[in-house]
Amino acid sequence: MSEQNRDEQRTGGDGSADPTDEDMLVQTDVSDSVSSAGASFDRDTVVSAEDINVWYGEKQALQNISMDIPEQSVTAMVGPSGCGKSTFLRCINRMNDLIDAARVEGDLYLRGKNVYDDDVDPVALRRRVGMVFQKPNPFPKSIRDNVTYGLKIQDKGGDYDEIVEESLKRAALWDEVKDQLDESGLDLSGGQQQRLCIARAIAPDPEVLLMDEPASALDPVATSQIEDLIEELAEDYTVVIVTHNMQQAARISDQTAVFLTGGELVEFDETQKIFENPESQRVEDYITGKFG
Amino acid sequence: MATNTESGEIEGFGQVSRTVGTIFRYLLVAATMFGIVMLAVLLLYVANDAIQPSTADPGWYLTFFLALVVPSVAVGWTVRRRDRGAFGFGALLVGMLVVSLMFSGGVALLVIDVVPPLAALAYAIGIVVPVGFAVLLTQQAHRISFTPRLAATTALFYLSLFGLPGPIGAAAGIPQIVPSLVGAIQSIPVIPVDWMMVTAVVGGGSAAAIGAYVASVRDTRAGLYATAAAFAATVVAGALGPAVGIDSVPAVVIAAIAFVPTGTYAWRGAFTEEGSPLGLVFAVTVVGGALVGAFAVNVLGFAGPQSWVDWQFLTSAHSGTAENAGLYPAIGGSILLMATVAALSFPLGVGAAVYLEEYASDNALTRFVDVNISNLAGVPSVVYGLLGLGIFVTYLGRSAGTVLVGGATLALLILPIVIISSREAIRSVPSDMRQASYGMGATRWQTVKNVVLPEAFPGILTGTILALGRAIGETAPLIMIGAPNVVFNLPNALGAKVSAMPLQVYAWSSLFASEDFYTKAVPAGVVVLLAVLLAMNSVAIVLRNKFERTG
Repeated sequence: MSEQNRDEQRTGGDGSADPTDEDMLVQTDVSDSVSSAGASFDRDTVVSAEDINVWYGEKQALQNISMDIPEQSVTAMVGPSGCGKSTFLRCINRMNDLIDAARVEGDLYLRGKNVYDDDVDPVALRRRVGMVFQKPNPFPKSIRDNVTYGLKIQDKGGDYDEIVEESLKRAALWDEVKDQLDESGLDLSGGQQQRLCIARAIAPDPEVLLMDEPASALDPVATSQIEDLIEELAEDYTVVIVTHNMQQAARISDQTAVFLTGGELVEFDETQKIFENPESQRVEDYITGKFG
Repeated sequence: MATNTESGEIEGFGQVSRTVGTIFRYLLVAATMFGIVMLAVLLLYVANDAIQPSTADPGWYLTFFLALVVPSVAVGWTVRRRDRGAFGFGALLVGMLVVSLMFSGGVALLVIDVVPPLAALAYAIGIVVPVGFAVLLTQQAHRISFTPRLAATTALFYLSLFGLPGPIGAAAGIPQIVPSLVGAIQSIPVIPVDWMMVTAVVGGGSAAAIGAYVASVRDTRAGLYATAAAFAATVVAGALGPAVGIDSVPAVVIAAIAFVPTGTYAWRGAFTEEGSPLGLVFAVTVVGGALVGAFAVNVLGFAGPQSWVDWQFLTSAHSGTAENAGLYPAIGGSILLMATVAALSFPLGVGAAVYLEEYASDNALTRFVDVNISNLAGVPSVVYGLLGLGIFVTYLGRSAGTVLVGGATLALLILPIVIISSREAIRSVPSDMRQASYGMGATRWQTVKNVVLPEAFPGILTGTILALGRAIGETAPLIMIGAPNVVFNLPNALGAKVSAMPLQVYAWSSLFASEDFYTKAVPAGVVVLLAVLLAMNSVAIVLRNKFERTG
């Protein structure tokens, strides 16, 4: 089934997107797929998707997505609601497995290993890929227990006090909560809760950090704090962030992938290029607000 | 609709008819009140028969009015105007004292007449020791993997409770070589005094719980001090009890179950940062007023109502004359039945609920189970009685009418209710939290254990207590499984015959239907039954309010 799709994709793909010859050479493996047109970066690839298709029941949510996400950078995914950008994010750590109706086809490589292979345990995968959700969702436990949750369930040793301090400092929350580590995480404000969730996600030291519209439920001040934080995190982590705020993507990301309705990846390139000189007319229309 | 803009006048702002709506509204009010009013009338009627308030001296009422009602209303009104929260705390404190006194009565009954103190101590130690080891092992979880830990814990429990080779060996004909910890303690040559053993078990458990509570409010140090203080208070109560005319054993139980927890709660509400002593003032006024009133009527010689619910009624067994008849074996039977029902239905019900909510995929079997659990919740209790008779008595050959058979039958009866309410509680845990846990790389079990169950626990507990409240009032299943109408002693084993409060009331109303039984003993029994039921439900309501998610 997957093989067949890929073939269909190959035949149908070349017509619609038009990758240059140079790109064909650089991208040996996924060269002929539409979506990674123009995308080649000088950093090593961490996550590499090849012809990912996702169905929710009968409805197809993603169509033949292929992209290579480089390490230690911020990759933003933008697009209108329902275009499948969150779905793609959740393919990376196989959160879609938790939805009965969801069906994923295609290959997705994390450091060269296909995470959809039979011998990959999604739980082990999620321990290497941290995730921050749209709505701040700290556990109704103390701040300390929130941060150490991942360490405890993964049976990781170490000096928990030190890790808690380190993680909260990286999440720019330490100064605000250092005197109330034993109080409930739910007592914090929305922006603080989201930074707590980020601290919780980075405490077990994942390789990739997925963020699903992490600032959409926050006010502008908290949003700007989160954005600064994301830029700092990208020095150590590979951050993949979904947003429908174009300015946010332009501000913080190194690469931008534009998804448009129907679940297709229309363009993926350096953020500057996407926003200044996109290849596709549809992307230009979307970015300039003439959504078509 | 009827606006006429062409005429130039602004219309459509006049009265619109609400006749039908008004009638409908009052019909709804009537429907709401109908059941409540009917029940209230019946309860007043029953309470009047049971307590006979008209037989008291007017002076008795006057004394209590002056000592209890006037100061309570005055202080309560003042406190409430100053600080609503403090008033609520004070009222809760008084309620807690009353309910915990009732519970301590139940526990006292168990340790005096059901479980020999030495056996209680032996089993308490025999369970605490392996549990302690299990906790120590769990703390080493990162060093020892799960299977050897499980094996070690199981072996410890087996050794502690059964010894070597225990019942498995006995079945194979091997004689006991190593005695169990429980057996060893029960065969020690020097038997400590009863009340000291009760202190160790009841006081120890209560002190440990108090310590954990205080530690969660303050810190570990305060928790340790609180444990020591609570235990010391229990010991002192046991030592001083006989001096004020209460035996040591009940004194210990009342101190450990009623006074120490209420005192701790009073400390928390009155003297910690967020608390206010105003509430304590109100509570002290009410309790002090009641005590002063009781003392005053005693001194002044005013007779109280000749209530049928009195000490004699609560502490004696059935008798040929209504005057001497009491509810004691039935109260104890109900308590034992409830303990059995809780022990059986809670793990089964919660387990089924967790499976159905967290593990089961949505397929035909699950939907079939789903529909049938809802149907089972509505099956008449007499049918469950028949089921219990068929399974436990006829098929498994247990003797009819015992604590175990009765408890198991009632557990089957409330199992669907426990499952439904537990599922409801589990479903109300936000899926955000599950997602967060799975996103961190938690397995399903870790998510259930660390996130879902702690969040759902108050709801599960509330549902289970309310379901137990249904079980405690059931009569038909007990009749079906052959529980005797009248027993004269408390059952002292799971295999002993048991009666229960509703069964005893039923027996008085039908089998011994003399005038006195019918008009006096039955209402008194109903009042006691309802009091126990209300105490249980009030615990459920307080738990629900306490843990209700805020924000």
